[in-house]
Amino acid sequence: MEATQNPLRGVDFREPLHRQAEPAAGPVWIRQSDIAMAEKETPLKAVQVEGLVVMKIIKHCSQRFPTTATGALVGMDVNGTLEITNAFPLPIIEIPPEAHYEGQHINTAAAAPRAKANTGYQAEMIRMLREVNIDAQSVGWYTSANMGNFCNTNFIENQYYYQKDLNESTVALVHDVSRSSQGALSLRAFRLSPQFMAAYKENKFTTENLQKSNLRYQDILVELPVQIHNSHLLTTFLHQLPTPPPSTSLEEPTSVSSIETNPFLSSNPLHPNYETLSLNIDPFLSQTCDLLLDSIETHHTESNNFSYYSRALAREQNKIAQWQAKRKAENALRASTKQALLPEDEWQRLFKLPTEPNRLESMLNSRQVEQYSRQVDGFVAGTTGKMFAVRGNLLPGEGWVGIEETQESREQSCCEKWEEVCSARHFVDSDQTRGATF
Amino acid sequence: MAANEDTFLHLARPLGPAPVGTQPSTHPLTVIVQPQALLSVLDHSTRRPPDQTRVIGTLLGTRSDADDSTITIHSSFAVGHTETTDQVEVDMEYQKTMLDLHKKGNPKEVLVGWYATSSELNTFSALIQNFYGGQGDGTWPYPAVHMTVSTEAGKGVEVRTYISAPVGVTPERAADSAAFIPVPYEIRYGEADRSGLEMLAAAKDREDRTVATITDIESLEHALEDILGMLDRVGKYVEGVIEEEDDTLPNTSLGQYLLNALALAPKVDPADIEKDFNNHIQDVLAVSYLANTIRTQMDLSNRLATAPLTMGGPESTSLATKEEGGQQSQRGGGQRGGRGRGGQQREQRDQREPVSAI
Repeated sequence: MEATQNPLRGVDFREPLHRQAEPAAGPVWIRQSDIAMAEKETPLKAVQVEGLVVMKIIKHCSQRFPTTATGALVGMDVNGTLEITNAFPLPIIEIPPEAHYEGQHINTAAAAPRAKANTGYQAEMIRMLREVNIDAQSVGWYTSANMGNFCNTNFIENQYYYQKDLNESTVALVHDVSRSSQGALSLRAFRLSPQFMAAYKENKFTTENLQKSNLRYQDILVELPVQIHNSHLLTTFLHQLPTPPPSTSLEEPTSVSSIETNPFLSSNPLHPNYETLSLNIDPFLSQTCDLLLDSIETHHTESNNFSYYSRALAREQNKIAQWQAKRKAENALRASTKQALLPEDEWQRLFKLPTEPNRLESMLNSRQVEQYSRQVDGFVAGTTGKMFAVRGNLLPGEGWVGIEETQESREQSCCEKWEEVCSARHFVDSDQTRGATF
Repeated sequence: MAANEDTFLHLARPLGPAPVGTQPSTHPLTVIVQPQALLSVLDHSTRRPPDQTRVIGTLLGTRSDADDSTITIHSSFAVGHTETTDQVEVDMEYQKTMLDLHKKGNPKEVLVGWYATSSELNTFSALIQNFYGGQGDGTWPYPAVHMTVSTEAGKGVEVRTYISAPVGVTPERAADSAAFIPVPYEIRYGEADRSGLEMLAAAKDREDRTVATITDIESLEHALEDILGMLDRVGKYVEGVIEEEDDTLPNTSLGQYLLNALALAPKVDPADIEKDFNNHIQDVLAVSYLANTIRTQMDLSNRLATAPLTMGGPESTSLATKEEGGQQSQRGGGQRGGRGRGGQQREQRDQREPVSAI
């Protein structure tokens, strides 16, 4: 195990020295428990993802798109910051054909992180990684998402499995493939909240319990801020790649085609992504609407279940009341004739109250819808700004001085205005919801 | 020993003594390196044991279907090895197990070659190269790609790719000699990698080498700032030409290029713009409004279903009713839930129309 102590000793590309503070040698299980103990004192505050991990996740997720891809993360917990230093994909477990006949549609990829067969794979992989000095500690898993549709039972079960069994300090990274293709990288880290962990352990999501524990859908997941970190070597490498247009003057071009083919002008891979300026809004809107309709469907089913349950419950209780009244009358009769009384609590044997449906699904659904609406708000803010800019640009006759200035000032004012409007609406919404908690 | 970086002649490879019956391919070959593989190599280099100057690993990727002339390196993994002055030891068992594990996760990727984290090519390189290119576990009949990534402190990172041809010195030396032939390589990233690389690039100029993830509106802001900067620069140049300033030389082709770019601005009727603009903005706002309404509605309906029966009284009465017994409040909750659902249904009908209209 001397491997993990400090792989960089005697090397100039030194990482920050916190790794030296780790216990130098000894079997891994001791170190893990140490870290687990330390973790109890400092809960996770942030997640730091290595550039390599970002690229690996992107590669895996976009390869499998639109199906879900999952994988495991390894790294280290350093004073409340979870450093994720490597990742590997988990294979999709082929389910035996007879499982298909049971009518259970299991998304094999989504369930992979907690599948039995993969536990072995993961342990084996981590053992191999340790031999080449990679941080050999499982710190969570990642999954791909499509427009933020990750709040489902699979996600919860996977994360529960990780947080309960393996190690307290584990996170789930969610990479949203569709949103990343439209501009900024969407990589988010989530954990289950301690309250939810406790509730899920008991697995009692009945109305009564929810009232008691005061657990709300906002409390299921805790989001952690994500930072992206590069190694020194990678920084060196990035600085060598062709980057934004050089600020020094170039040679005079001799023809139009020489401008178009000039490597300095045409290839700048790491330049800001102008995809964000695209005005193509329809795919986003239609996808969001589809997803919202799905959510409504789920909500509808759940609330139907619940109202069915409450009707059944009312019916049963009615019957019980009738029975009790009858029994009481009978007993009164018996008392008057001096006969032995019949027991009055026999109804507990005779009638069976229906079991209440699990409220977890509807809670998750609420969380999901919240996710969608946040996403839409963000999208609206950007798009409206862009659209006002385009209008300002194409209709210059509205008293604007120059096109550039028009664009800039409009853009800024629009963005600001829309951020204000959106945040204002958030306030209104949260007021409404607060008003609903009688 | 390393090949000169600047230019080299890229030819069909010389034929080695091939066994009868098999004809190794002799096409010129190009290598495409994906950023993931390169990043993984760099990561391995920072994690090398302190007493080792270079580390090696396996490259995995795909070959182009048509003629095997393009090799795309998708990923890589590290392999332990020890090197002394007169012998080299590569953990072949490890390499085999890891390859199997990797194939489970990425069934499409095959072994294409190996990497080393120094530009040096020596006898050991030839030995390892012959192993990777050999029959059985190796890449035979395809050539094995050797990628060197120099990671010397204080110097730039240099990437080179080679394939090899056997050279016959003596039969005894055949195992540890090979002629490394440089081949051109290209770092190519996919559309999906863009956003990730952009983030990495954002961190490169910062001292702590970290950057937080940004929201959509922030990335829009960055892109706009960038474009405004470029517009400014072009504007200044054009101004300089018009004002006939000394330090700006007019250039016909630049002018033509700018004119072409300006011609791309569409000429549309203002009324049309106004109409399209209004339509689009209505779409966007409608979806946003609906999403938020649905959220509020669902929240409300769920809350009503789980809220204790209080008749809207203050907190004290709510506690009192709660104590009356779970059953009653449950029933009340159920009924209220039902009512909430009714509202939901109505609302659902309302919004189906605009949604389908979009």
